[in-house]
Amino acid sequence: MAAVVEAVNLKKTYMLGKVPVEALRGVNLKVETGEFLAVLGPSGSGKSTLLNLIGALDKPTDGTVLIDGVDISRLNDNQLANLRRGIGFVFQFFNLIPRLTARQNVELPMAISGLSKDERRKRAEELLEIVGLKERMNHKPTELSGGEQQRVAIARALANNPSFLLLDEPTGNIDSKNAMEIIQLVKRLNASKGVTIIMVTHDQRLASEAKRTLKMLDGLIVEDVMN
Amino acid sequence: MNVVDVLYYAFSAIRLRKLRAALTTLGVIIGIAAIVALLSFSQGFQDTITTQLQKGFATKTLIVSPRSGLGGGEASISLFVSDAQRIENLSGNVSTAVSIMQKACFINASERTFIVNIIGVDFEKYKEIYESTFVPAEGNITSENDSVVIGARVHNPWQNGTILANVGDTVEVTWTKRSSSGTQENKTYTGWITAVLKEIGGFNLGGPSDFGVYIPISQAQSFFETDACSTIIVLLKDDNKATIDGVSEAIKNEFNNQVSVTSATAVIDIISSVFSNVNFFLAGIAGISLLVAGVGIMNIMIVSLMERTREIGILKALGMKNHTVLMIFLSEAMMIGLMGAAIGIVSGWGLANIVARLGILSGGRIGANQTAVTTQISITPVLTPTVLMGAFAFGIIVSVVFGLYPAWRASKLKPVEALRYE
Repeated sequence: MAAVVEAVNLKKTYMLGKVPVEALRGVNLKVETGEFLAVLGPSGSGKSTLLNLIGALDKPTDGTVLIDGVDISRLNDNQLANLRRGIGFVFQFFNLIPRLTARQNVELPMAISGLSKDERRKRAEELLEIVGLKERMNHKPTELSGGEQQRVAIARALANNPSFLLLDEPTGNIDSKNAMEIIQLVKRLNASKGVTIIMVTHDQRLASEAKRTLKMLDGLIVEDVMN
Repeated sequence: MNVVDVLYYAFSAIRLRKLRAALTTLGVIIGIAAIVALLSFSQGFQDTITTQLQKGFATKTLIVSPRSGLGGGEASISLFVSDAQRIENLSGNVSTAVSIMQKACFINASERTFIVNIIGVDFEKYKEIYESTFVPAEGNITSENDSVVIGARVHNPWQNGTILANVGDTVEVTWTKRSSSGTQENKTYTGWITAVLKEIGGFNLGGPSDFGVYIPISQAQSFFETDACSTIIVLLKDDNKATIDGVSEAIKNEFNNQVSVTSATAVIDIISSVFSNVNFFLAGIAGISLLVAGVGIMNIMIVSLMERTREIGILKALGMKNHTVLMIFLSEAMMIGLMGAAIGIVSGWGLANIVARLGILSGGRIGANQTAVTTQISITPVLTPTVLMGAFAFGIIVSVVFGLYPAWRASKLKPVEALRYE
């Protein structure tokens, strides 16, 4: 199978004031189409940094990130923006635009990609139906519960038919019942639609739902197991 | 992202903070309104003055008067009635020249006595020069020695129906002759009013005036016992600059530079240029207030940028390009400018009209003599297309220019840092 994401000897060093912090110290990773991968590790282990790099939100200090075979450090801002349209992000804090309705939020990435109004409206409704929120699509994020907001965020992440979904602590702000529903939704997307999933979490229970688990510690991958 | 979506997105951001947007827009409104009000008022004033001048002047005329020394001292030479003939012979570009003699006299009509300027002039030539203003409303302008022609406001000074003198009335003209030995002698002659001039309005410079009382030059010469005249009006064949300059020069040479020659056209030009300076100054003052509004826009956009840093991070994570982020922020500034300019133009125009209606700035009373004969200039604000379009464009340009820096900063935000921003 083709690798959707490939990281080779990936290093990232931040400057925290005047102190350099080595967030990643040489990570090698290959994710193939249709995988459901959980990245597990305590805070400060470098898992969010890894996510930002394979989401093309940041550039590595050293090493290479290949997304669909393209080396991101060779791309300019515009090319990176184009690349990100093919990646579905789901954030811990949902990151919906508060003044837009659920449907408009789902439409937003399609508007950015330049889809026509009719097309994106139709697709947004389909996606909201998949995540089970069609009847609440005209509500604004503040009128939705945390679980519902995260489901809108997942619908939004799927809008541009991404090659993979990146989930950053997707249940971190949701109660456990809703968290299970979210994880079931993600599993269903992976199983029935073949969506590639990369999920960062510090929750062992959540990670055990994935097909493959990576454990990180101090900027390195210390364990890579198939469940 | 297409233009409509960019505009919609920008508009949704403005709509979210209505009060803030309204206050920012208010700054632009005040700036634009000030520009429009001041300029349309000043343009109206200029138009009023110019039309008034053109009525009282004739563009093809030159006014020759004895030159006074520095500080307005006594003129060193006198002009004489016969000098008009001399000027006529001077150049082929001179159609005619007429001498004017002016003295303050008492006149007595309808049992009232008041002081007026008696103007002695050759009626036939004067008619030729001022063919549109030296025209009778009643009676006929005839050149008999005892003929008196009066201006409209001498006939009807208060414009309330009280008529001072009518065609056919006799008037007594009294002039106090003083000699160097200190003796004073009142001379009086009786004439009759042969004509009342049409209302002219405005100012005059050598030309007929609503307040003038005209008698034939020959009568003036014998009554005032002099051949000296105060000015000579020269009618040119055309009002080309070359003709005006050429004849002016010739006249000055003829009188050894002892006379000054004023061209009516030149005076109008000077007044116009004074007005354009005044306009520039007014626009500058108003422009400053618009710049302040621009700083307000910049300020508010930087605040908005900080509040929306995370949102920008989200947009970039969703694949929005830098220039699209820039366009969104610039559109917000442009919308504020657009609304401000539109409302500002309307309110500025309204303000100018209210001020004009109330007559706050139009009380320009020009007193003439002791008769309380006054004229009032009323100003109608004029909004020229240049001012209209200029104010509109300026409002938008200022907004966009001041929005440029915040928008540029927004577009340059790094997605990772923007997303992490609390």
